[in-house]
Amino acid sequence: MRLLLVEDDTMIGESVRDLLAGEHYAIDWVRDGESADTALRAHAYDLVLLDLGLPRRDGLDVLRALRARKDRVPVLIATARDSVRARIEGLDAGADDYVLKPYALDELLARIRALLRRAAGRAEPAYAHGGVVVDPARREASVDGRTVVLTAREWAVLEPLIARPGAVLSRTQLEEKLYGWSEEISSNAVEVYVHGLRRKLGADLIRTVRGVGYTVPKEAP
Amino acid sequence: MKWQAPHSLRARLLGFLIAAIAATAALQAGVAYRTARAEADAIFDWQMQQTAQSLRPGLAPAPDGAPPDDENFDFVVQVWTSEGLRVFESAARAALPQRAVLGFSDVRARGTTYRVFSLQTRSQVIQVAQDMAVRREMAAALALRTVAPIALMVPVLMLLVWWVVGTSLAPVARVGAQLAQRQADDLSEVAETGLPDELRPMVRELNLLLERVRQAFDAQKNFVADAAHELRSPLAALSLQIQGLRRAGDDAARDVAVARLSAGVERATRLVEQLLVLARQQASAAAGAAPLPVVLADVVRQAIETALPQAHARGVDLGFERADDATIPAHADALRILLRNLLENAIRHAREGGRVDVEVRRGAGAVVLAVSDDGPGIPPAERARVLDRFYRVAGTGSTGSGLGLAIVKSIADLHGARLALEDSPTLGGLRVVVDFPEDGRPA
Repeated sequence: MRLLLVEDDTMIGESVRDLLAGEHYAIDWVRDGESADTALRAHAYDLVLLDLGLPRRDGLDVLRALRARKDRVPVLIATARDSVRARIEGLDAGADDYVLKPYALDELLARIRALLRRAAGRAEPAYAHGGVVVDPARREASVDGRTVVLTAREWAVLEPLIARPGAVLSRTQLEEKLYGWSEEISSNAVEVYVHGLRRKLGADLIRTVRGVGYTVPKEAP
Repeated sequence: MKWQAPHSLRARLLGFLIAAIAATAALQAGVAYRTARAEADAIFDWQMQQTAQSLRPGLAPAPDGAPPDDENFDFVVQVWTSEGLRVFESAARAALPQRAVLGFSDVRARGTTYRVFSLQTRSQVIQVAQDMAVRREMAAALALRTVAPIALMVPVLMLLVWWVVGTSLAPVARVGAQLAQRQADDLSEVAETGLPDELRPMVRELNLLLERVRQAFDAQKNFVADAAHELRSPLAALSLQIQGLRRAGDDAARDVAVARLSAGVERATRLVEQLLVLARQQASAAAGAAPLPVVLADVVRQAIETALPQAHARGVDLGFERADDATIPAHADALRILLRNLLENAIRHAREGGRVDVEVRRGAGAVVLAVSDDGPGIPPAERARVLDRFYRVAGTGSTGSGLGLAIVKSIADLHGARLALEDSPTLGGLRVVVDFPEDGRPA
């Protein structure tokens, strides 16, 4: 999953970027409102973590512009503006959730998972597909009741696929979910991780659509 | 023991009014008495004269004759022959000695004073006398009659004064009640309507004071709100840095996390320190201590010494460019804080291995302190805003407190100095100029 982090505070930005990267998310970090707007126009993100008090352009302004473009990307505001009015303003401007600084990282992660779940049109926290159950909160997968450990990269490839069964994602799209801007992409990384996933979860879960990409097929009802 | 006027305006007014009325009444009574006495004297003297004249043609020697009609005025008439034989007296009880003095005289006899008129005819001496008490009593009665209406007016006047004072001071009581009912944080104006002119200046001053207090209060509230907001960011950073440390998988990651955490603690410490400096600065400015003469260049030299390690850590060449000998009236501690902030800012924003110049220049009526660096400077559009609390210039990535220049501004204001941000003509970076007035009157 690729997240855009909009944060002008260097110390907070560094820490959030590294911590989220450790949670298998691909992070792009921008430090002002104009760059955030540019990034949002150029890339499709799965979620935006937005600070409000930004240099050059206010976060709320960026958010309104985003919603005016009918972009439905989930937006989680993380700010030090704590007044009830500011929270109402933020949510009414189109944010999906609002957390106050300082926040507990685990709470932030839970909120991110909840927003991603909702964006995928689900309410239940775990994915179930045939004999395979995948729980993003605990980062645990099990096959026929047998627990399987996945690496962060494998997870990053599996989650977008299993989140929307039936959708086909290209290799490039999956690479984008894997790496932030600054990271170097190795040419056959996606194939390597898909191979690993098939080995751990069974060959049937992820199908290759030749010339297009990969998909987790819709379950037969 | 010293007598003190009562504190109540009403009691004071009543007291003085009664005293004034009493004095007036006494004076009036005195004048009336004297006038009445003088008139009575003139009238009675004339009557005594007339009585004596009427007896002049000759009085039949009638020892047992009825006395003349003299009951009204207690006249006593005696007639003597030339030989000194008393041939007539109007009342036996009123025998007066024969007097040789002709015309008017006062005679003391039988415990009282008589007014006596003697008239010499060919054969007789006619004496007409009157007890002076009659005249005194009459004058006293007259005087009393003039004072009586005033005495009657006294209670009426007192009531009137009581009422007028009461109604005039009612607005004072109302203002008092309004103030008493207020919440502690209600600093709105007191209404001036209906107040007597004498009280209006006091209430106006009170309102001006309330206005100043309100501004100070608002400033404090804004400051607290800003500070609360600003304290959250370093705390959020700390909280995340701890998470980072906890999740660090290997030694290298742990070293990075520890370095970040200590930087975060340093930053939070610095912010709290700066907040305290600013708060103390504003409190001492409010306390209004008197400035003392300070040799500016000496303080600058000390500040440069203190800042040297920091400058050397970044390879910055920090030094005096010009040091005129000038004394300004200043608060030395505040001045040190101002310099520390200016130097730290300049060192932080100078290029790595760059240069920071300090000047103390004596100009016409002013002593100019200037700190220049060779950093990126501040765009003109941002220069006014960087003096605001917690404002940071975009894109500098600076994790400063955002309070440094706000503190500098506050101290400059305390010294009545003008603070200006310019481009440095020599170094190309920012040049901060503090213009101290030589007479140093704090604005």
